[in-house]
Amino acid sequence: MAKVLVIEDDPQTANEIAAALGDYGFEVECAHNGRDGLLKAAGEKYDAIVLDRMLPGDLDGLGVLATLRSIGSETPVLILSALSAVDERVRGLRAGGDDYLTKPFEFVELTARLEILARRRTTPARETNLRVGDLEIDLLTRQVRRAGRAIELLPREYRLLEYLMRHAGRVVTRTMLFEEVWGYHYDPQTNVIDVHIGRLRRKLEEGGLSQMIHTVRGSGYVLRRSE
Amino acid sequence: MFSVGLSEIRRTTSFRLALLFLALFGAASLILFGFLYWQTAGYVAGGVDDWLTREMTARVSDPSELDRQITAHMVADPAGRRPFALFDADGHRIAGNPATLPSPLPGMDRVFDFTLPRGGEPVPFRGILHRMPSGGIFMVAQDMRDSREFRDLLLGAMASGGLWVLILGLSGATIIGAGALGRIDGVTRAIERIVDGDLSERLPSGGTDGDLDRLIQVVNRMLDEIERLMHEVKGVTDDIAHDLRTPLTRLMAGLERARRRASSVDEYADAVDEAIAESKGILATFGALLRISEVEAGARRAGFTTVDLNTVAADVTDFYEPLAEHKGICLSLEPDGVSAEMSGDPSLLFEAIGNLVDNAIKYTPSGGRVRLRIFGADDRLGIEVSDTGPGIPEMERGMALRRFHRLEKCRHTPGSGLGLSLVAAVARLHGLHLAIDDASPGCRVTLRRDGSAPGELAERAFSSV
Repeated sequence: MAKVLVIEDDPQTANEIAAALGDYGFEVECAHNGRDGLLKAAGEKYDAIVLDRMLPGDLDGLGVLATLRSIGSETPVLILSALSAVDERVRGLRAGGDDYLTKPFEFVELTARLEILARRRTTPARETNLRVGDLEIDLLTRQVRRAGRAIELLPREYRLLEYLMRHAGRVVTRTMLFEEVWGYHYDPQTNVIDVHIGRLRRKLEEGGLSQMIHTVRGSGYVLRRSE
Repeated sequence: MFSVGLSEIRRTTSFRLALLFLALFGAASLILFGFLYWQTAGYVAGGVDDWLTREMTARVSDPSELDRQITAHMVADPAGRRPFALFDADGHRIAGNPATLPSPLPGMDRVFDFTLPRGGEPVPFRGILHRMPSGGIFMVAQDMRDSREFRDLLLGAMASGGLWVLILGLSGATIIGAGALGRIDGVTRAIERIVDGDLSERLPSGGTDGDLDRLIQVVNRMLDEIERLMHEVKGVTDDIAHDLRTPLTRLMAGLERARRRASSVDEYADAVDEAIAESKGILATFGALLRISEVEAGARRAGFTTVDLNTVAADVTDFYEPLAEHKGICLSLEPDGVSAEMSGDPSLLFEAIGNLVDNAIKYTPSGGRVRLRIFGADDRLGIEVSDTGPGIPEMERGMALRRFHRLEKCRHTPGSGLGLSLVAAVARLHGLHLAIDDASPGCRVTLRRDGSAPGELAERAFSSV
């Protein structure tokens, strides 16, 4: 079970985050100011840290992050912020943050991103092919096969599938897909990604094969091996 | 106008300016008068001294003739205005006009001032003494009353002239100051009414093209602009109230309905899902509003990098292509051969172009076309999105840029009505000009550098569409 430290000054928000993360299967600890957060983060081993950008006192979110990185901690950090400006995001990531989420956010989004952050450290970096059930992709030749039959994908479809495969069994939100596959940072607020996924789905299920990409009610998708 | 206190007039700029000029003029006059006085008085005194020295030299050159000359002089000048007198070694007058030696005795052969009694009054004289070989002292003097009077007259004229200048200057300054104060009071009262909330009030103009009037005209134009903006803000606030209140009402109604009627967990879950969906919609509207303000504030220029419009447009086309295909619309991109690089925020440009394409796809009927066209750096840099939909009536084009504005016939289609105003804000941030015109049929939206490109160039670009 992944262990997460939540550093958030508002107790109610902290409790909501802890409850939501608990529901999604994380083990959660909370700290309510920068100093406590830093002590905990430095003293114990966590799989990921959720860090509020604005903390009371002389040690704010970016201060905690900078200190943490300066003592050599590599724990993935997701920054939560009420500041949405693009340069705030850039500053957060530059200070050593691994992901940035603007308040208010959906918990599906938070947990999906945390799962990927927490897992990133344990995933071997070098792979030449990915396999989920009867679906297989070759990362070098970019060939996709399902149940032994080759599937022709457009470059964009291939990247969607690769991202879903890399995080198979985990929820991936539309925003995450958009950021990862198209490389732009904003919430597109349309159902266009659904149409892209719909196309990919049809290609994967051609010939009466079972469904692999499932829609998660609310905001995302999950790729699972078919039973 | 004159009910205002003198102290207030004293504070006006015009009064102070008038005073300053008065002081400058006064100083200049003083210098002029001083120079005149110095020159004139010096000339008069110099004349007297010259005469005294000359007379003395002439008289004493031949001492034997002196007695005769004294007698002759006394006949010529019985009033003693230019007295000649000879004294013995003890200082007693031997001959000449009535006079006494001044005491102590001044140096010989040097011009000096002294007084002699005339009619019981001491009268100023200027004289010169010479010791004769006999041991006596010969004196030649000159009555100075005339030249003193001339000097006093000069000084008096200067003083009274100065006084008149002062009086005229001060009253002039006061009148000018009071006039300015009257104008300022009028302006102040107008401003106070504006501050109190009457935005239709304007500053009173004197109807001339004086400097104050020019200033007032500029301020009045600024007030026009402020009034327009205030109306716009009020309009936007009303729109926000409407567009947020509607989903909030639905949200509350749904929740209340669930509490009244829902009897199973599934029904409750459905109600919660509905509520979450509504909240998301509200947050999206709210977020879009914040983004527009953020973009309009220009803070995002910090995130600018070099962007190629060709790349962004290709990504947008790639992103929306399935949606267009789904609706049976042909989405195409005409890239420019040369690079269309500019400094900008790629995400914002994607969002803006995406918005235009999204709108075009939304309003174009099945079987239509949506075309993107890039103008490269050689041309006036920009992008154009045209469709074969119903277009925007000319009357509504300006309105379409307003926040929350939805064309009447589109009220029922989903959307926040914020898209085009976000596009406009992004365009402004990137120094692009947004234009909506008729693609006959359909609508054409152009984001393009405002350039001094020759008209026929623009003509050619448009006619080929």
